[in-house]
Order: sequence, then structure tokens, then C-alpha cells
Amino acid sequence: MSTVSVRYIVDDVDEAQAFYVRHLGFRVEMHPNPVFAMLSRGDLRLVLVAPVGPDHPGGGSRPMPDGTPQTPGGWNRFMLQVPDVDVSAANLRREGVAFRSDVVSGVGTKQVMIEDPSGNPIELYEPLRPEARLQDS
Amino acid sequence: MTTDPLDALYLPVVPIEPRPEFADALLRRIEARPGPLDRQTATVRYFVADLDASVDFYCRLLDFEEELRPSPVFAMLYRGDLRLLLSVPGGAGAVHTLPDGTVPQPGGWNRMTLQVADLASTADSLRRHRVVFRHDIETGVAVRTLLVEDPSGNPVELIEPTAGYHERSTR
Repeated sequence: MSTVSVRYIVDDVDEAQAFYVRHLGFRVEMHPNPVFAMLSRGDLRLVLVAPVGPDHPGGGSRPMPDGTPQTPGGWNRFMLQVPDVDVSAANLRREGVAFRSDVVSGVGTKQVMIEDPSGNPIELYEPLRPEARLQDS
Repeated sequence: MTTDPLDALYLPVVPIEPRPEFADALLRRIEARPGPLDRQTATVRYFVADLDASVDFYCRLLDFEEELRPSPVFAMLYRGDLRLLLSVPGGAGAVHTLPDGTVPQPGGWNRMTLQVADLASTADSLRRHRVVFRHDIETGVAVRTLLVEDPSGNPVELIEPTAGYHERSTR
């Protein structure tokens, strides 16, 4: 059972789905209608939804009770571990993916932040020390 | 310096730009490589204003476990297969500050979705702890959902599956 699920708000589900499949190796689990897609990559389930009206049957991207719409963007993100972040960044750059940051080294990881077509952040990281690495448990 | 006549036998080194589709396939293969170096467990990073309040919120109210808190600006929590990193933005040597000086902020709409067994009782408990609700329990296509905020205003979605909820078939 996949227990980890993340929801991203996107402008265009078809475009976003193509991005995640082509550039980041996600697999399409379902895309039953134009405003919803469920993708997966390893243990991560990524749900892509486009903003819908208050009466839409899908509950994940309706406006708030006060009318505030849900929008893409922000800074919170899921992270994907890669063996060599420089290689991944070079490949993605060649593929024309948008970068929000350059590759930087932090305390435990070397990382870079890219954006999906709606401007949502995705962080790719390479562990620099054991605590940062996801271990087989 | 004399030229070695055998040099003429060496093949010239020509840099090759891989075809995009080849690069794609290569990247996928690199990233799909199994083993401890590339475990595919999911990690999410949230930016928070107050680390103590945030760790307390996630651990006490949403069943996360504290794994590491090596500094006042970073904590690593786990809930099942989900690893949640909490980072306090800004500060000295902050790696998340962009080159143009932009500092990451909490908030937005992208969120982790946590499955709970009984959404109504979870909602009651969160309300008792004065957690901010962005919206109350709503019914979607295959889930009942609730959107709350952590102490920094980050969204956290809680779901309870209903009929038709999709479980991945092949694991």
C-alpha cells in the first residue's frame, strides 16, 4: 500500500503529467478526467489537480468556503533522491526544464530546485552524509 | 618536439551530445537503479517559522516521530514511509535562500496528504487543539478530505478513503 501522497495544484493536468513522466520518471496510475491525475514514483504518490469550481464533484481543488482559490507555486515540495545531482541537473537543463535555484550544497545534501510547468517546486538532492540518505530499513 | 608518427593512428576525440531521448532513458535508468543509494521512499520539505511548535504539532497531533533535530533550523520527522523535513528559512548561511535573496516562505497549496482511519474523530481532536482549518470535512470522488494548517500556515490534507479509492495494484 502506498502511504505517502502529495497533492500539487497545477494549471494544466495534461501538461503537468507529461512533465513528470518525461523528465522525472513518474508513472501514470490514472488520469480519469481533465482536472485530475494520479502518478507514482517509488513510494510516492503524486496527485495533480487543476483548480475547479465549488460545485465540482472532486474535492481536492475546490475553492475555500470564503472563495479563496487554490493556486500552484509556493515553496513546500517533495524531494527526489538522485545519485548525482550535477548529472541530473545537466540533463534536465538540456531538456529545457525551468530551474529555480542552481545546485547548492547544504549540510546533509547537495540539491537543486526545479519547477514544473505551473511553477511548482521540486527538489532533487544527493546525500552528502549518511543521515541524509534514505536507508533500506 | 618531434611528432610521433603513431599519433596519426589515434582516433580523434569528438564530444557527443546525447540525443534527448537517449538522455531521458539514461536518466530514468540511473534514477531507477535499485539499492540503498537510491531508495525511493518519499521525502517532503516544508518551511516553518517556529521549529519547536512545528515538531510538536506534527508529532503530537499527526503521529510523526522525530528522527533528527541537529540544529535550531532543521528537523527530520517520519510518519510511516513519509520523511518530512522541516526547515526554518533565512538565517546565516541559509542554503535555501535564492541567489537573488528570495527567502522561502511557509504556505501555499501544495501539500502532503495523510490517510487517517476516522476523519471525523481526527477532526474533533484537531479542533480541540485549536488547529486552523482551511476547510472542514468535504466529500470528494473517492475520499473524504479535510484541509488544516500547521502552526506556520502550511497546508496538511487529511483523507479517509471511501468507496472507489484507488490502491496501487502491483507492489
